[in-house]
Amino acid sequence: MAISEQEVRKVALLARLEVDEEEVRSLAHHFDSILEHFGKLNELDLDNIDPFVMDETQTPLREDRAEKWELREDALNEASHRDGDFFRVPRIVSEEG
Amino acid sequence: MDFYRLSAHEICRKVKSGEITARETIESSLERINSLEKGLNALITRVDERALEKADRVDRMLSAGEDPGLLAGVPVVIKDNMCVQGIRTTCASRILGDWKPPFTATVVAELEKEGAIVLGKANMDEFAMGSSTEHSAFGPCSNPWDPDRVPGGSSGGSAASVAAGYAPISLGSDTGGSIRQPAAFCGTCGLKPTYGLVSRWGLVAFASSLDQIGPFARSIEDIALTLQVISKPDPRDSTCNPSKRPDYQSVLDQSSLKEKKVGIVKEFMDYDIDPEVREALEKTIEVARSEGAEIVELSLPVMVRYGLATYYIIAPAEASSNLARYDGVRYGISSEEEDLMDMYLKIRGDGFGEEVKRRILTGTYVLSSGYYDAYYLTAQKVRQIMTSEFKEAFSRVDTIIMPTAPTPAFRKGELLDDPIQMYMADVFTLPINMAGLPGLSLNAGYSRKGLPLGVQLIGPKWGEMQLLAAASVLERSFGPSLIAGGDQ
Repeated sequence: MAISEQEVRKVALLARLEVDEEEVRSLAHHFDSILEHFGKLNELDLDNIDPFVMDETQTPLREDRAEKWELREDALNEASHRDGDFFRVPRIVSEEG
Repeated sequence: MDFYRLSAHEICRKVKSGEITARETIESSLERINSLEKGLNALITRVDERALEKADRVDRMLSAGEDPGLLAGVPVVIKDNMCVQGIRTTCASRILGDWKPPFTATVVAELEKEGAIVLGKANMDEFAMGSSTEHSAFGPCSNPWDPDRVPGGSSGGSAASVAAGYAPISLGSDTGGSIRQPAAFCGTCGLKPTYGLVSRWGLVAFASSLDQIGPFARSIEDIALTLQVISKPDPRDSTCNPSKRPDYQSVLDQSSLKEKKVGIVKEFMDYDIDPEVREALEKTIEVARSEGAEIVELSLPVMVRYGLATYYIIAPAEASSNLARYDGVRYGISSEEEDLMDMYLKIRGDGFGEEVKRRILTGTYVLSSGYYDAYYLTAQKVRQIMTSEFKEAFSRVDTIIMPTAPTPAFRKGELLDDPIQMYMADVFTLPINMAGLPGLSLNAGYSRKGLPLGVQLIGPKWGEMQLLAAASVLERSFGPSLIAGGDQ
């Protein structure tokens, strides 16, 4: 199945990735070859197979209990735009909106 | 004396007996790094001062009569996707900038608790996506056996560090072969443990249902020792098995493979692999036979034919989700864009390299509405068949022997423009991650050009004991891994 450059742009937007025209072309080409490869999977009979069954080992659960985390300041300091105890991001809702 | 040649076992013994000091071992490693690093580029970040301080601490403990632990004074190199508090962690990406994690990964904390000394953070393919350590924002890493060739990947810097004698042990992570394939290319041992054996707390996630941390070393003895230290239960990683681990070092004196069944995969025997890799594989099977093993032919048709396609749907799907967190808000590079969407696009567009973008887009595509069933769900079903195939195989054999990679180390640039061919480098390793099994690459000799040739041993789930036992018997025949450029 061929994938159009427009589709590549759409997926890139979904993934929040800026891609230039050259990247779009090379990605479309890459998608073509990889999707051809994926197509092989349709040769198999996959009826009646549960896709998400996990094996015998269960994920161990711990008690859901709040703990004090001493490294709060260090973590906040790694942000490029810190505002007190908050991470600062550009405005999301416009004033007119 | 050149202490860099010593194994972890030897260093620990000599440091504890007072024959050498921890400072001397670290100084020897740093000299080795100084003389080779310009050509190798195996390390992204060096922490010489910190290492010497830690060494002095080990020496002080010893003079005070205290026991520094199982790895007293042993230098180690850590792949740069595992966090060490206060040391820049980059994942070989631009997007994390100079991010310094506020905590230390469990595996690194366990190593340091036993007296091991971190020398630095190893080069890798960006976010562990790649098979050559060429996809690094810090430049490609070279193979210590031939600087024109790649060390494999994604844990190429960790493998090269051990092969070049920077350190006797290092840590890597393996999502589809990222420990075993570089181990084979660099002529070291490399173990990907069973999914859930080693805590991943503090490891930067790539594909969470596949990622596992494991050791590189130049001997099986050192692999077992390192595994003992890093494989403890950890409540901070909910996928980490809470059961007590066995004594991995106790199986190393096993005398033969008598009454063991060793499987070979029929379909791989007529697969297109390099003739010298094939010779190494056949020699390994012969050694196993002469050590008393019964060789059993197995058929794993789904894994062989569909493994690669299945992996390259599931791993990018998980990666696209895991890497959504890199948005420039809480850590990493920043932008002055005034619109949130523009900020995301810019930071992620500038910050991620080409291969990472390819995988994120592939993952986003296979998970997107309208394609999810056709790709992701189908791949999950095939993964179930592959897992059952292995389960059935391990009801008949104790260990499976197969190649680690189809070729020895390839040349730099050789596969860079052909992503699918690059993915093929992992065709023998990635099915093991999808089934959650342990796999180990062992050096089985050298090609006529002097390149290492690896073979891979696979065990059943939680079968590290039998894997290490088999590997130690084979190693007795092959000898421990050599140091590249070590003038042996």
